[in-house]
Amino acid sequence: MKRVLIIGGGSGATFLANTLDRRRFETTVVSDSALHMFQPGLLYVAFKNAPVGITRAERRLLPRHVHFLQQDVTHVNLREHRVRTQAGTELTYDEVVLATGVRTAAARIPGLEEVNAQFGDYHSTIEQAQRVWRHLAEVRGGTIVIGQGAAICKCPPSPLEGALLAEEFLRDRGLKSRTKLVYFTPYPRPYAAEGINDIVAPILRERGIEVRTFFDLDRVDTANRTIHSIEGEQIPYDLAFIVPPFIGAPITYEPAEVLDEDRLIITDKFSLRVKGVESAFAIGDGTNLPTSKAGVGAHLEAKVVARALAAKPARFDGRTHCPMDLAYGKGTFVVGSYAAPTVKYAPSRLNHWMKAAMARIYWISLRGWLDPLFDVYFRLTAPEKLAARQAHRLRPAA
Amino acid sequence: MAETEPRTLVDAREESCPGPITDLAKAYRRSKVGDVIELWATDPGVKADVRAWAAKTQNEVVSIEDQADKVVAVLKIHRR
Ligand SMILES: Cc1cc2nc3c(=O)[nH]c(=O)nc-3n(C[C@H](O)[C@H](O)[C@H](O)COP(=O)(O)OP(=O)(O)OC[C@H]3O[C@@H](n4cnc5c(N)ncnc54)[C@H](O)[C@@H]3O)c2cc1C
Repeated sequence: MKRVLIIGGGSGATFLANTLDRRRFETTVVSDSALHMFQPGLLYVAFKNAPVGITRAERRLLPRHVHFLQQDVTHVNLREHRVRTQAGTELTYDEVVLATGVRTAAARIPGLEEVNAQFGDYHSTIEQAQRVWRHLAEVRGGTIVIGQGAAICKCPPSPLEGALLAEEFLRDRGLKSRTKLVYFTPYPRPYAAEGINDIVAPILRERGIEVRTFFDLDRVDTANRTIHSIEGEQIPYDLAFIVPPFIGAPITYEPAEVLDEDRLIITDKFSLRVKGVESAFAIGDGTNLPTSKAGVGAHLEAKVVARALAAKPARFDGRTHCPMDLAYGKGTFVVGSYAAPTVKYAPSRLNHWMKAAMARIYWISLRGWLDPLFDVYFRLTAPEKLAARQAHRLRPAA
Repeated sequence: MAETEPRTLVDAREESCPGPITDLAKAYRRSKVGDVIELWATDPGVKADVRAWAAKTQNEVVSIEDQADKVVAVLKIHRR
């Protein structure tokens, strides 16, 4: 039996542990948290005051034959196949899979920690997301600034989703005329990928959300309530919901060169092997893969690694398939791959419904039971095919 | 161009969403005045983005070249 050690207990780790053949692998999952959070739920806690039942016990999401350890990993020696935890436990492995995700790093931008502590954020904890809601619910007027604080973002659609849901909220409460909503991004357009930008840019205009592009957040001046960009611009705010930068887990690696400057694991984008070492894979948000940091990616990458571990041909194609809530009950998906540009995918109620449905099926999908269905769905919505169908649909009527 | 200039190579070929502009934004954040950034990409939209970015940030596009397998953009940082 091969001993597979999976570090992390989130989307990627849990799905992988559920898929590995128990007859061939002795699988151990080690995570610093006993709980598993359905992170997309934070968006709705923050902007819709949704109920907070979005966590489950990780142990219960894993099959019984998988060992689960709740410990904080501090050292990983990829040369000697040794792992150490905060509690002093030493673990060894034949193959390791790093699935430690990313965490928020507001301290990287002066003033941002203070702003996030004051107004909350929707990319860390339930308490922080509830803080967003409390501030939003108290709005009576003024300028609300929402935006993306750094180039890399967990769930790339989520900063815009926040702005769109906030706008819906303000309209519902009859506060539109007394408030100004400003969205900022370091990118040249509201959404980085052009296909989706073509869909979203007109929606933002229609809904009166002011967009500031090329706004690379440099610092927040909390005394004067303004945010400043590297490019030298500033935006005043009364309320600011800023998605902070993200960095990888604080683990010391041997060799240290497997991490980039954001502590992301340098991973081969096709094989998902950690660069420069043997018997180590990395999946999900914690990698430096040039694709969206999303649960869907973590899931598809886990499938590739499961195949590689079973000595089957395995190659990741960079597929993304991120749902994007456009508010007012409509949604779209960000669909692309390394080879195919992001599809211009028309908004629909069905797409929105699918995003909402994911909240329900997430827990079962981690068990791998829905995978035959997902395989068909992902094949049918392959970016090349989807683009052809959408081009037909979006063609202006003669 | 003088070989002594610090040159950062940013390889953004074959990336999926959000794409090469992410890498440019990251490299810009790390850069200093006088640095040269060489960006490689396969996404054709990158040319317009690089020009718009340079105009906005008041930095210089030294060259943008279509090669057989990639677009190569060379940027010089004048403002940070
Ligand atoms: C607001 C929001 C909306 C989102 N919407 C969507 C969406 O609609 N669709 C979508 O696909 N994705 C969405 N995502 C993104 C999705 O949640 C993540 O991409 C996904 O969880 C990544 O999975 P992962 O396994 O890489 O990391 P995670 O799920 O974050 O798991 C990382 C795990 O590693 C553990 N860990 C970290 N450090 C250590 C350590 N030192 N030792 C041991 N364990 C450690 C953590 O406890 C955690 O269990 C959203 C995220 C947010 C915040």
